[in-house]
Amino acid sequence: MVRTGLFFITVATSVIFYTACKKVEPIEIPDPGTPSNKVSLVLSIVPYQKLSSYRFFQGDIKNQQPADGVMEYEPISSLFTDYALKKRFIWMPDGKSADYVADSDILNFPVGTALIKNFYYDHVMPGDVTKILETRVMIKKASGWIFAEYIWNEEQTEAYLDMNGGYVDITWNRNGQELSTNYRIPSETECKVCHKLNDVPIPIGVKPQNMNKNYNYPDGVKNQLQKMIEMGYLSGSLPPNINTVVNYSDATQPLELRLRSYLDINCAHCHSAGKHCDYRPIRLGFSETVSKTNMGLCVEPGEMIDPAMNYIISPSNINRSVMHFRLNATNESVRMPLLGRTLVHQEGVQLLEDWINSIEFCE
Amino acid sequence: MKRKLFLVTAALPLVLTDVVAQSTCNTALPVTAGLYTVDVVDGTEVPMPVCAPNGTGASAGKWYVYTPTDNYTVRVSTDLSQNTGKDTRVHIYTGSCGALVCHAGDDDSGAGYLSLIDFSVTQGVTYYIAFDNKWNSTGFDFTITETPFVEPPVYPVTFTENYFPSITGDYKIAIADMNGDYLDDIVTVSPNQVQIHYQQVSGAYTNTTYPVNITYLPSWSMAIGDIDKNGFNDLVLGAGSGVTFLYANATGTGFTEVTGSQYVFSQRTNFVDINNDGHLDAFVCHDVDPNVYYLNDGTGVLTFHQGGLGDHDEGGNYGSVWVDYDNDGDADLFIAKCRGGSSTAKFNELHRNDGNGVFTNVSTAANMYDPVQTWSSAWNDYDNDGYMDALIGASSFTDGSHKLMRNNGDGTFTDITSGSGWETNTQSSIEYVTFDFDNDGYADVMGGNQSISFNNGDLTFTPMSYSFPVGSVGDMNNDGFLDVQNGSRIYMNDGNTNNWLKIHLKGTASNINGIGARVELYSGGMKQIRDVRSGEGFRHMHSLNVHFGVGTNTTIDSVLVHWPSGTIDNVLAPDVNQSVLVIEGAHPLGLLEVDGQKVELYPNPASDQLSIKNLNAEDVESMRIVDVQGREIMTLGQPSSTLNISSIQSGMYILQVDLKNGKRYSDSFIKK
Repeated sequence: MVRTGLFFITVATSVIFYTACKKVEPIEIPDPGTPSNKVSLVLSIVPYQKLSSYRFFQGDIKNQQPADGVMEYEPISSLFTDYALKKRFIWMPDGKSADYVADSDILNFPVGTALIKNFYYDHVMPGDVTKILETRVMIKKASGWIFAEYIWNEEQTEAYLDMNGGYVDITWNRNGQELSTNYRIPSETECKVCHKLNDVPIPIGVKPQNMNKNYNYPDGVKNQLQKMIEMGYLSGSLPPNINTVVNYSDATQPLELRLRSYLDINCAHCHSAGKHCDYRPIRLGFSETVSKTNMGLCVEPGEMIDPAMNYIISPSNINRSVMHFRLNATNESVRMPLLGRTLVHQEGVQLLEDWINSIEFCE
Repeated sequence: MKRKLFLVTAALPLVLTDVVAQSTCNTALPVTAGLYTVDVVDGTEVPMPVCAPNGTGASAGKWYVYTPTDNYTVRVSTDLSQNTGKDTRVHIYTGSCGALVCHAGDDDSGAGYLSLIDFSVTQGVTYYIAFDNKWNSTGFDFTITETPFVEPPVYPVTFTENYFPSITGDYKIAIADMNGDYLDDIVTVSPNQVQIHYQQVSGAYTNTTYPVNITYLPSWSMAIGDIDKNGFNDLVLGAGSGVTFLYANATGTGFTEVTGSQYVFSQRTNFVDINNDGHLDAFVCHDVDPNVYYLNDGTGVLTFHQGGLGDHDEGGNYGSVWVDYDNDGDADLFIAKCRGGSSTAKFNELHRNDGNGVFTNVSTAANMYDPVQTWSSAWNDYDNDGYMDALIGASSFTDGSHKLMRNNGDGTFTDITSGSGWETNTQSSIEYVTFDFDNDGYADVMGGNQSISFNNGDLTFTPMSYSFPVGSVGDMNNDGFLDVQNGSRIYMNDGNTNNWLKIHLKGTASNINGIGARVELYSGGMKQIRDVRSGEGFRHMHSLNVHFGVGTNTTIDSVLVHWPSGTIDNVLAPDVNQSVLVIEGAHPLGLLEVDGQKVELYPNPASDQLSIKNLNAEDVESMRIVDVQGREIMTLGQPSSTLNISSIQSGMYILQVDLKNGKRYSDSFIKK
């Protein structure tokens, strides 16, 4: 970047309007009464300045080994974020549990819940090492969910609270192919673009439809929802049948089900009622894409990018399908999803392409 | 074996005949009204030029020739039940093979992707009907139907597509004069360069690229203005995570990047003198936080600010436009807003400029606090009453439709959408911009898919479809008719017989571009106004030159330029169909203020009574009304703040006021 004598100054008076800065508190005092092997989460104090202060992980935190009471889980289909790998965990205070609401709704979590998500890459160059970039924590206070964003240090010994976002240049080897990106760590504001319902912060992935699968726990393979019940984290009864997404990477599953699962986890956080872009005609939640019209089949786009792309999805014609164009784009004003990726998710685009080519007519 | 061979040899000449007969223009198959089958689109001559939407890309064609025996309105259609699910495109030509001229064309007007085109034909003229394989080569049926001649809809103006392959770059979204000759240039931005096509007096363009590494590209929008007053325009680029400024050097031969460290999810960018200190500042809509702006210290150094100009915690700011809605001489801020769900971030905002950088949110009081999902609004004086009205263009109809808001002149707006034509306009877009495209003296609106809504002069609008969506607007062949650039294509306005005037501004005390100036044009009893803006609509940058159409008027009484500094220039009786350069202060009019208060005439235009605001009759020595030639029409012995002007003829006049302290005040008004 070329710079001259001309420069910018941030004027102090403007800081009060700068939401990304205002919630940082210089306090970090985990409850001294907590035994050192237990999670410490004092609602009146969090977010802590250091990730280690929560004691979510046992041993060397870079090993991402959950502490007692911290439950690892994985959604059946996951959000694409420039091929970053993720580990996800839930923790709740003793004696507290979540309730089932609906297959397609987030669980009703108790106050005190923490949802923890580490973003990392394997085979990072140079050195072919694993590197954790960030840990996103959502904590439910009495007043609602808050975001706490932690950025890991080079040494991978600690992650520090930073709500202003940032960039990390990263190059890694993925299945023999070297990939690079200027990885974006979101600011608090960016977190909220996706994580909200009518301006109120909410989680996204922790819905029965996404959780209802087996996971290999240290004590054996268990269904994740059953594991939550076993740990006392889910109370009440679950319905006998849960309308469940499939893993979009699983080629043995029906094509349309795979695409619907993909759209749910990658797109529905904006394209659903009450969300950032609910004024656009598509509805991409798993429970809503039973209608192909909700998926955009033969629906005119609200924003015309090119007159030739006159439908969001055109039967058997990717070149006339805006959704295909947007998923395949990197220019930030036309790409979709809006945030969270700079690379094209080739496998996701291929999935969409296969489905479009399987559709012969408008409904 | 023999039999098989025989069959093949017998079939071959037939196939060859078929291919040859429709393969090229010269071998087009003669047709009349009826049903025809295209077996496969495989002819060797690709139909050119492209007369249908969606550009080049075909590799084969199928050709037919048709000569009507009478004048008809003809329909060529593939919109037939047996074609369901197919995708066709058709071009209709006049002229001769090798020199074909587009007459009509269609891609998708039928169901799905089938084609349907009506066009007028003249007895005895030869028309070529050519299908191409832009989308696929599969065969289909088509019909030619003749119906009695129907007068086609009359377009106020038409546009001719010109393809400029030399216009390259990642972001082709800006037009502005970049070298001080007031001819509109084409500016594109890429990660490592700025490309400028400089328009020459000859009409040709010279193409220059300037290397510069750019941190934040104009992925969301771009605006142009001369921040450091060095005579060469600078750029503000709005990206999803930040804002970059490109400063042109002192000779206009290179750019220097300056990028702020602040996270900004940019939407519309503007250059405007926010605090009215004579120096251009920059404003950037923030999608998800309060808006940001950059104040200029007078040397071109910008300081980041956030707060005070649209502070909704969740942002929702998409399309800012700086417009003097209350005619107090400074630019106010309207923000077109958008946000899903029940968030109040979707309510539009109007911020009144109270001077010295102080703004008051008057959205509700002005009747502009509306949840319609909009990414931009188009502001102009649609009824030529001297006040800026607004077309708030819907990007989605989920929270209301387009709104045409008439400025009442008292700081409030009235929704006059009903009956205006906008209430039945079901097209939407993210871009709405306003210019007088047909030079009839009434500002039109481009936006709503691919259309221009022409202003009928009575606050009703008629949308006309074109083949291109909103792009950058400027006069790309300097003929006084506004053209549209879209990517590497310029849609050149074919013009009509209406007259026009362009005003080129050069500020001295004010910013050099004259951004924020109010320009008034008086002609034939009609008053038109423009505000000079850098950044309107959503994404594009449009010409900074001021353009007026004046219809069939052949004379213009005067043009007044109200500069942001308060200086007024009065250009008397400029000829039509030319450009006039107005340098700030070169055409002085008179005193502006008495005891620090701006003197104003109202209503303006006036019928019988003309009142003077902020002028105490006791301070007045004498008053007189002169016409634009300077002839005295009326002397008023008894000073008064209300004048009876019922006896004077319609036209433009100047009121001169001599004060007891020896100062003279003058201002112009229109007698209806």
